[in-house]
Amino acid sequence: MRPLMNPRNQLRLFSLVLILAAGWVGAAEKNPQSVQVTIRTILAENKSDDFDPKLKGMEQQLKPLKYRSYHLLKAEDQNVPAKGTGSFEIPGGRSLTVAPQEFQNNRIALKVRLTERDKPVIDTTVKIPNKGNFILGGPPHEGGVLVLSISATAQ
Amino acid sequence: MRDCESIRQSIGRWLDGELEAPESESVRAHLASCAECGKAQQQLESIQQMLKKTLLAEAQQIEFLPFWRGVQLRIAQRTPWHEQALDWVRATFTLSRAAWLVPASIALILAILSLESYVPGWREGRNSFASVESIDAYGRNVALLRENESKTTVIWLYEDQEGENETADEPAKSAPAF
Repeated sequence: MRPLMNPRNQLRLFSLVLILAAGWVGAAEKNPQSVQVTIRTILAENKSDDFDPKLKGMEQQLKPLKYRSYHLLKAEDQNVPAKGTGSFEIPGGRSLTVAPQEFQNNRIALKVRLTERDKPVIDTTVKIPNKGNFILGGPPHEGGVLVLSISATAQ
Repeated sequence: MRDCESIRQSIGRWLDGELEAPESESVRAHLASCAECGKAQQQLESIQQMLKKTLLAEAQQIEFLPFWRGVQLRIAQRTPWHEQALDWVRATFTLSRAAWLVPASIALILAILSLESYVPGWREGRNSFASVESIDAYGRNVALLRENESKTTVIWLYEDQEGENETADEPAKSAPAF
């Protein structure tokens, strides 16, 4: 009788494979070292019908906002350490801080704070899919409104 | 050569044909050569014959017909579904098979958990939205929008129309523009 034909040995082998698989899954869920945070600052207004070609790929996301024109004012990338905070300058004397909180089920929790002349405007914690984004908008700017696209990618 | 005591203990099983060939041959050879053990064999044979005769005489007096009718009735009776299910469970999930169920279940759970890590977006339909865990807008109005087509979550800050410094064509100072 070959050793692997023995049901007891088969069970042992299966358990070994299972333990290795558990390690594999554990490694997959390990927290990232850092998170690449990208902030795209967009000016939305109704003065024209221009859509900035640099915003190609975001048409569907901006469509529900019902403005006629969108211009990319600024795009900034930062590699933020897993337990650190990234700070981004936003036009109009504003500042945005983004702090990654946790990484679970391929989703990143971000603590986001927008301030205007050192006064807090909004504090929020949002869980987004890895490589996904969300939109924070509404602050008035130069006759239109600012729309911030906040995205994060685990590194 | 086995001793007489051990041979005598085996005679009963030898007579019933329960011994393996080599042992049976060894008992037969010993009985042929040992008068004492041969005597023990004859005694045992005569006891067995007496027992057989007695049992046959008793059996002739027993009425077997009602017994067989009872057996046939039990066979003809349909087993209830729950007993059938229980029998199936007992036959299927024997102890050795049940032992496999535990690691197999763990493997299945691990596979489901690891899928999201290794195949991002497989749960696209229900997990691709950003979810807002907490929000504090320091007295400002906030609107939340989840747009299904692009799977976009929008947090929108706005002020009441009756607020200060309001202008009619300023979308940011009115209700959200969606």
